[in-house]
Amino acid sequence: MDSELIQQIRYQARDLLESGTVKGVIGYERASDGLTARPFFAYEPAAVERLIFDETCSHNLARYLVDKKNEKMAVVVKPCDSRAINLLLNEEQIKRDMVFVIGVTCPGVVETSWNHKDEELQARCKTCQLVEPPVYDFLANGEAVERPQGEPYLDVQQMETKPITERKAFWSEQFDRCIRCYACRQVCPGCYCPECFVEQLNPLWVGIRIAPKENELWQIMRAFHLAGRCIGCDECERVCPVDIPLSLLNRKLEKEVKELFDFQAGLNPEEQPPLATFKKEEKLGFEE
Amino acid sequence: MSPEYQPKIIGFLCNWCSYAGADMAGTSRMRYEPNIRIIRVPCSGRVDPILLLKCFQQGSDGVLVSGCHPGDCHYNEGNYHARRKFALLRDFLDYLGIGKERLRIEWCSASEGQRFAEIVSNFTTELAELGPRSGS
Repeated sequence: MDSELIQQIRYQARDLLESGTVKGVIGYERASDGLTARPFFAYEPAAVERLIFDETCSHNLARYLVDKKNEKMAVVVKPCDSRAINLLLNEEQIKRDMVFVIGVTCPGVVETSWNHKDEELQARCKTCQLVEPPVYDFLANGEAVERPQGEPYLDVQQMETKPITERKAFWSEQFDRCIRCYACRQVCPGCYCPECFVEQLNPLWVGIRIAPKENELWQIMRAFHLAGRCIGCDECERVCPVDIPLSLLNRKLEKEVKELFDFQAGLNPEEQPPLATFKKEEKLGFEE
Repeated sequence: MSPEYQPKIIGFLCNWCSYAGADMAGTSRMRYEPNIRIIRVPCSGRVDPILLLKCFQQGSDGVLVSGCHPGDCHYNEGNYHARRKFALLRDFLDYLGIGKERLRIEWCSASEGQRFAEIVSNFTTELAELGPRSGS
């Protein structure tokens, strides 16, 4: 028997497709291993029976909206993913009336691999404060869940307090492993530039050689382009084939933005992003 | 400063204030350390973080970004944007182990030739004390 939550998603999706309100519904279906989930595009009312939602639904489906901006789509989003919708709305990448948001109350998701799912929640879910999505048109309400209340920046603070030589060594070791497959970029809802700086040849910002210095430049700039924009879905870290702790970079900037500018991305689509605005009176540690 | 080690500094100076300030230092024959290589940019707000990182990648020991004093920007608000951007970048560089001492942001007007000379000399001395960047 499928859960109440899944029934609600299917019911809403069927309604939207039958009435022609949307062209398609982006959701999750059971992967062919019978255990984990994968993204699924339902274009026929009959296809909604394949939609599911459970703790294996880790993907951030808001990423697909950028590719589907000319068609009205419905999308199933967890609270963290729905922040990406706010981000895209704020940056005028999608139009509000071209997307129908099916929000779900999230019990937290687990790490999965082929035919295997972890018992424990993902690290980000242990510190997540959002139970309901900040943006939705329809909310599929699951059972109320106890949320663990962890300190979100504990590992960042630990890294900050290490001596500088240790930090340098740590990040060099991490960046050296990078194979520059750009999976982190492809999966990121904030990385939608038609031509990424890393692929520009004139000027050649980042050399095409897969070597420590180039990797470092790519990694730092990828993270910095998401400063004040990263919504913390940690998809980049999940897809990284060499397990670089990208979240540790993203959350450092997130923490910094929160402390300096009192801003969190994706909570309010009307709010000006911190690097697009300024206050004349702030000093930010620079003498005048 | 030890005679063997000479730090390399790249300076991004805004056309309207700091570059003129450097000019002032030159025409007034003020003495400052020759370790800085100056790149003239239209505004401190134009300086993309990737330019700074590229400098570090190519082996410079420190980067100076200098623009008009807040409120004096030729384009009204370029340096305010630069200030936010570099406040973030400075902490991020520290986090990554590059060190925030190696990035210097200064506001220097066209009339402050003396100040410009002092900034460059002080920065050079500080970098010399820090020593070369490891692993580069």
